[in-house]
Amino acid sequence: MTKRQTRAFFYAGTGVFGAIFIALTIDSHRQFPTLTHSDRITPAVIAGKHVWHRQNCVNCHTLLGEGAYFAPDLTKITQQRGAAYLKAFLKDPSKFYSEERDRRLMPTLALSDREIDELIAFLDWVGRIDTQGWPPRPILVTGAAIPGTEAVGAPPRAAASSDPVALGEALFRRTPPGCSACHSTAPGVNVVGPSLANAATVAAQRVESPDYHGKATDAAGYLRESILDPNAYVVQGPTFSSGGRSLMPSDFAQTLEPRQVDELVAYLMTLR
Amino acid sequence: MRYRTQAVAYPYWVVALLLYGLQMVFGLLAIVKYLGPDPIRAVLPFDVSKAIHTNLLIVWVLTGFMGAAYWLVPEESRTELYSPRLAYWQLGLFTAAGVTAVVGYLFRWTAGNKLLEQPYPVKLAIVVVMLMFLYNVGMTIWRARRLTTTEGVLVAGLAGAAVLYLPALLEFDNYTVSIFYRWWTVHLWVEGVWEMIQGGLLAYLLIRLSGADREVMEKWLYVIVGLTFISGILGTAHHYFWIGVPAYWLPIGGIFSALEPLAFLAMAVYAYAATRRSGLAHPNRMAVHWTIGSVIYSAFGAGILGLAHTWPSVNRWTHGTMITAMHGHMAFFGAYVMIVLAVVTYAAPILFGRPHEEHETAIGLWAFWLQIAGMFGMTMAFATAGISQTYLERIIGLGYLETQQKIQVHFLMLLATGILFAAGVALYIYDFFFLVPRGHREPTPWPAAEPVEA
Repeated sequence: MTKRQTRAFFYAGTGVFGAIFIALTIDSHRQFPTLTHSDRITPAVIAGKHVWHRQNCVNCHTLLGEGAYFAPDLTKITQQRGAAYLKAFLKDPSKFYSEERDRRLMPTLALSDREIDELIAFLDWVGRIDTQGWPPRPILVTGAAIPGTEAVGAPPRAAASSDPVALGEALFRRTPPGCSACHSTAPGVNVVGPSLANAATVAAQRVESPDYHGKATDAAGYLRESILDPNAYVVQGPTFSSGGRSLMPSDFAQTLEPRQVDELVAYLMTLR
Repeated sequence: MRYRTQAVAYPYWVVALLLYGLQMVFGLLAIVKYLGPDPIRAVLPFDVSKAIHTNLLIVWVLTGFMGAAYWLVPEESRTELYSPRLAYWQLGLFTAAGVTAVVGYLFRWTAGNKLLEQPYPVKLAIVVVMLMFLYNVGMTIWRARRLTTTEGVLVAGLAGAAVLYLPALLEFDNYTVSIFYRWWTVHLWVEGVWEMIQGGLLAYLLIRLSGADREVMEKWLYVIVGLTFISGILGTAHHYFWIGVPAYWLPIGGIFSALEPLAFLAMAVYAYAATRRSGLAHPNRMAVHWTIGSVIYSAFGAGILGLAHTWPSVNRWTHGTMITAMHGHMAFFGAYVMIVLAVVTYAAPILFGRPHEEHETAIGLWAFWLQIAGMFGMTMAFATAGISQTYLERIIGLGYLETQQKIQVHFLMLLATGILFAAGVALYIYDFFFLVPRGHREPTPWPAAEPVEA
């Protein structure tokens, strides 16, 4: 090859592939609104994005898998934890995690209530972006898999059979709804919400107890009520509630189909 | 030194090396924070030390590149620099902008955008610096009416870096769109125009060190930068995995980033062929060390280790883990840090008017091998941490925090090898500042032993 030919190779290669890149960029712009639900970018979401940048969040956390690796990925965090929990957490992370135990702890940011709401709105919008199925299984902040949990090796999405219990268990492990992000099924492991190791037994005792004032009359009814209306009975615990209100998301009545609630209850009733 | 104004490079490299040393401080701090608990968390949290660590890298490598350009352009164009005064002002402004950014981060003044954390006024100052640089170099070449391919590739790379910094000034309400364009700066820098700079500097060094034929070297340089862009432009797609862009970026990213190692392998073959043909008899053996080291480490770090996690079905599991840090550290060190240090090592004896042979000191050798060994160890520590993290957190489904506890041992290895590396950096700086100037004499004419024009 002569120098003239190699120079032509450089110019032509750069030109052709640069042009393809520009064309694909234009096409991507055509698709961004659908893929990112850009109609849901409200002023609160934009303000939340500014909070995200101002607080330098990306230099500890990843979002959409991009950022630093010092703190957990937050792509699906609002679906895993819910707004109530995140609000309480952002006000004082040290109530939820211990630097002695975890070796690192998020600094308490001086955020106003409004900034916290905006940040959560932003993260909630990010959680709905079409990420081509990433992450392939939920990335959990904490919990699961200390000895005794069956999350190890469990299929992330598909149920093993069409049995309601199997379907319920698969749903329990899936995000959304993200039950397993906060509830372990190992005895004594309280991740954020209480362990559900013997949920059916506890539920049966609770409906009989004098301080229960909800509408349920049996264990299955209590579990159903706890999913759909977490504030009907609030279990006490350091990370379970704040100001007498449960930190569990309270919108499962809207986001889950009745059939799915049945399956979850069927699964939880097997935990005795 | 053939042209007096080449000495402008010296203060550039002084600033670059000082910032390189400072970068180590914040890198080591970040490792200690990984081990935790962190007693200075309230004063200097992880995010601040990490932002400073990466920003110092960008600033000092760019400073080194610009110093190298000021060293190389007069020599290649056979003229004095258009305006040394402008070059000093430019360095002053760039240093001020860099220091302002770093001090600003300490006080939480940040744009909070990964690698582009510079607050807006600082970004504007950087644009001005780039324009000053391009004007000065452009006028030098224009007045000389002589542009070699080697300097052309180098200067085009720096001009491209300036142009591609512009997307960093844009802001979008849609987070996906803003990261889409963030990669135009970050990816097309490090896997595009910076590779041009690396290629140009490599061609210069090989011509000088091995005495290889310029015509042949420049001919193949076009092939190298051609491969860089053919693979690198569409290779941007490997940053477009899972962030809310159309799905066709997945196969494009897979295929073209699998081709990206070709440019680095081509550089390795290039250097090998040059030394085979013309030998490596140059008396400045430290410069030979750094040049050959750069070629090997960039082929391994940027090429192979990038390929290791770039295929979509692999990246699906490794995306956002320490695997990325494994690739990033060795790639930046091999491709950019080492090539800057190679030019500095090559130029230093000429700058100080000393014979090339005297430049190989025991300290210089230790500086080289400690950085080589330290970086290799750090890469392995990041790799083992990242593989464990991927398996435990992503595949098994363990929580993030539990996983980080289980991979603590790798952070210990990271600390140990990081200390080795930082010691190598300290020795390099010591060698540059204290040993060389001790014999400082008035610059003598070009040493007779030096092949003036190969």
